[in-house]
Amino acid sequence: MDLSWRRVGWALLPIVVTAAVLVILPPVWFGDSPYTTSLAVQAMVFASYGVGFNLIFGSTNQLFLCVGALAGVGGYGAAILVNETSLPMAAGLVVGTVSAALVGGLLSWIAVRRSLGIIFTGIVTLVFSLAFANLLLGQRDLTGAENGLVVEGVPDRLADDHVGGYYLFVGLLIAFLVVFRALQLSHVGWAFRALRDDEVAAELAGVDVARYRIYAATIGSAMIGLTGALLAFSTGFISPATYSFDRVDVRVLVFVAFGGLGMLLGPVIGASVFAILDEQLTTSFETREVLYGVFIIAIFLGFRRGVVYAVVKLVRRFVPARRVSDATG
Amino acid sequence: MTAVILDGIVLGLAFGLLGVGMTLVYGLGGVLNLAYGQIVVLAAIVAMIVIDDGRATLVAAILGVLAAAAIAVVLDLTLMRPVYRERGEERTLLGLLLTLGAAFVIGGVLSWRYPDGALYIYIAGDPLSILGVPMTRGSIWASVIALAVGALLLLFFGATTFGRGVRSVIQDEVGARLVGINPSFVRTVIFALSGALAGIVAMTNAMVGPLTVNAGFELTTFALIVTVVGGLGSVAGAFLAGVLLGVVNSLSAHYIGQYITTIILLGAAALTILIRPRGLLGR
Amino acid sequence: MPTSGRPELLEVEGLAAGYLGERVIDGIDVQVQTGEAVAIVGSNGAGKTTLFRTIAGLLPAMAGRVVLDGKDLTRRPAHRISRAGIAYVPAERHLFPAMTLKSNLVLGAYPRRPDPTTLELVYDLFPRLRERQRQQAGTLSGGEQQMLAVARALMARPRLLMLDEPTTGLAPIIAQSAFAALEGLKNEGMTLLIAEQQVPLALSVAERGYVLENGRIRLSGSAEELERNPEVRRAYLGVA
Repeated sequence: MDLSWRRVGWALLPIVVTAAVLVILPPVWFGDSPYTTSLAVQAMVFASYGVGFNLIFGSTNQLFLCVGALAGVGGYGAAILVNETSLPMAAGLVVGTVSAALVGGLLSWIAVRRSLGIIFTGIVTLVFSLAFANLLLGQRDLTGAENGLVVEGVPDRLADDHVGGYYLFVGLLIAFLVVFRALQLSHVGWAFRALRDDEVAAELAGVDVARYRIYAATIGSAMIGLTGALLAFSTGFISPATYSFDRVDVRVLVFVAFGGLGMLLGPVIGASVFAILDEQLTTSFETREVLYGVFIIAIFLGFRRGVVYAVVKLVRRFVPARRVSDATG
Repeated sequence: MTAVILDGIVLGLAFGLLGVGMTLVYGLGGVLNLAYGQIVVLAAIVAMIVIDDGRATLVAAILGVLAAAAIAVVLDLTLMRPVYRERGEERTLLGLLLTLGAAFVIGGVLSWRYPDGALYIYIAGDPLSILGVPMTRGSIWASVIALAVGALLLLFFGATTFGRGVRSVIQDEVGARLVGINPSFVRTVIFALSGALAGIVAMTNAMVGPLTVNAGFELTTFALIVTVVGGLGSVAGAFLAGVLLGVVNSLSAHYIGQYITTIILLGAAALTILIRPRGLLGR
Repeated sequence: MPTSGRPELLEVEGLAAGYLGERVIDGIDVQVQTGEAVAIVGSNGAGKTTLFRTIAGLLPAMAGRVVLDGKDLTRRPAHRISRAGIAYVPAERHLFPAMTLKSNLVLGAYPRRPDPTTLELVYDLFPRLRERQRQQAGTLSGGEQQMLAVARALMARPRLLMLDEPTTGLAPIIAQSAFAALEGLKNEGMTLLIAEQQVPLALSVAERGYVLENGRIRLSGSAEELERNPEVRRAYLGVA
């Protein structure tokens, strides 16, 4: 890999631009409203989930329907550790992240060992999702079940309706994007593209599909777990609803697909658009459900590679000579 | 103990019928209809509206079943067309995603317009004693209907020309085309049948207890578990798995606890996938 | 060369077909008269299976026409072509493995209920099948499966029977008796179109033949003409 400064610069350009936009957003847009801030934080959280999911599903075709559960492993793992022992927040973050990474890696390893296709992988991960939710509800003493868990020892300025919290998650997201980009441009990224294109051909070309899948799942799950853990500390209160399938998985699937599966900025664009849409268009939980349903159908019927890709293609058709910056990875 | 098991069988027959509808569609076309639970709810809501309108329960039930069959046909003729154009895993994934979208649309609309919607079909009469256990009339009716439907399905697939044709498409689609069977037409008919079965499940479930408008996701989950454990594409497998899981559910809920029970059922599905992917009676 | 007087049952004109945009067969002209037995010979990869699949409707034609007794069947779906009277027995057979032998036969007559006389006829032709009526098709031996595949195709009383490499996976003795059965069918007036790698076997039953090479018709003629042709002898009969 050619590591000249120029190449690294070009590679990181889209991330730098994104970071710049996100950083100046608060003064420009938030107007000191804690409501808008928490909305933005939510968008950043979901975008972070999205990068992890993008690594698992977008890059290696593993249909993990347990994003929420993985985040929950991170979140509840961190919270319970910190509540039950007197270890600092950092320890909670580490334990949460590592636990999620292990679970995700294990699920991927099982899927690989038993040669589960997409559909069985989806079912097994869905089963894990639902089982985890039930586990949370069942273990009242430890988790507080539906009543939720108050997370102790959280510094105020990182709270989720505070600008500090916003910058925290922006930082997290940017870090994830850098990792994703680095993988994308390395031999790992090449292997990902090969196995997504044609698994059999990739295998024959010497790509150890199994190993790369497990890598992707482990790293992606770590990202999701870390986000979940950080979220727990930032909001100071979590419940099974925070990490439920309805709340997390469905949205992540839709907006990452919207932004473009496997594309670097897909999750960011998707999460932002959906944050705005959610606010503007939906009057109730049910209407949001219908909206999501329509979106899922529309995206997977017409915009398989994401709405962003379709738009870019359209633009390129009208401005052929201009060199469009490689934001689509 | 007998009471628990009998309750389990009543539940299991409902599970089984639920599974049959889903497994048929999967066996024929490789599509897991994630909107299945919502179709059940749709039937219930339609019946509820008709009853509220003052009509007889039987009329309401029939209309509910027909509505479910109709929406199934609509789904097949619209969303399923692009799905069947794909092959293999692409088809399964697209089918999964599009039916998921449909589930949200149908479920969302129903919850939105009828937030308190629920169907309860009360069967009058004193409880009858079966094997020494008092069973409500509703439970007995539900079970008898499920068994009758099961028997009819068996007859249909075993003895009628069209039924054999359906089985042939499941076993070897190219072979079926070569003998003059149109798989596309068969799939549409079976989709409609699965819708009708969903409607029947709605009615039988409503005889045992109120079926609420937000039961969709849970019903789809149970259908999925039964389908996987029974074997994708096996009607007999779905019934068998349904009854077994129903009894397990009942025993576990009674002696252990509600949350563990759900985990056990989910675990059964996961275990089947990991250890014996073809399920109990699948090929 | 078509014999004068008898009407053409199957006419294939300029047929082209293939996969992923590439033409595997091109410019195919084939005629089959009612009651004739015609052979398509060629080595592996010549395009015999592609040709048959296109005629049977399993593969859409990219150019040309397929006409059965005056009716244009080009690009019609496979089940329509089956109902129009073309029965195709592919090399892979495509039986229904979990159904009994008898059920397989019964389905051959779809959508009609099977005519008991036809069933009897078929059992007379292949007595082994009568013995194993109740056996699951997936558990039959290779030879029996081949017999079942042909028998199933006959249940619909087709006007044209197409067989793709009927001797695949059969021991030589079974292959001989398979072709003897085909001879019997021809004598009963069935129109046959057979694709075969084993040229002597094919020409023993067929009156005429076409040689397919690299997706195109290289030669055509009566069975005797082809057998005498030096190129055919060199390429397919192993004779210098």
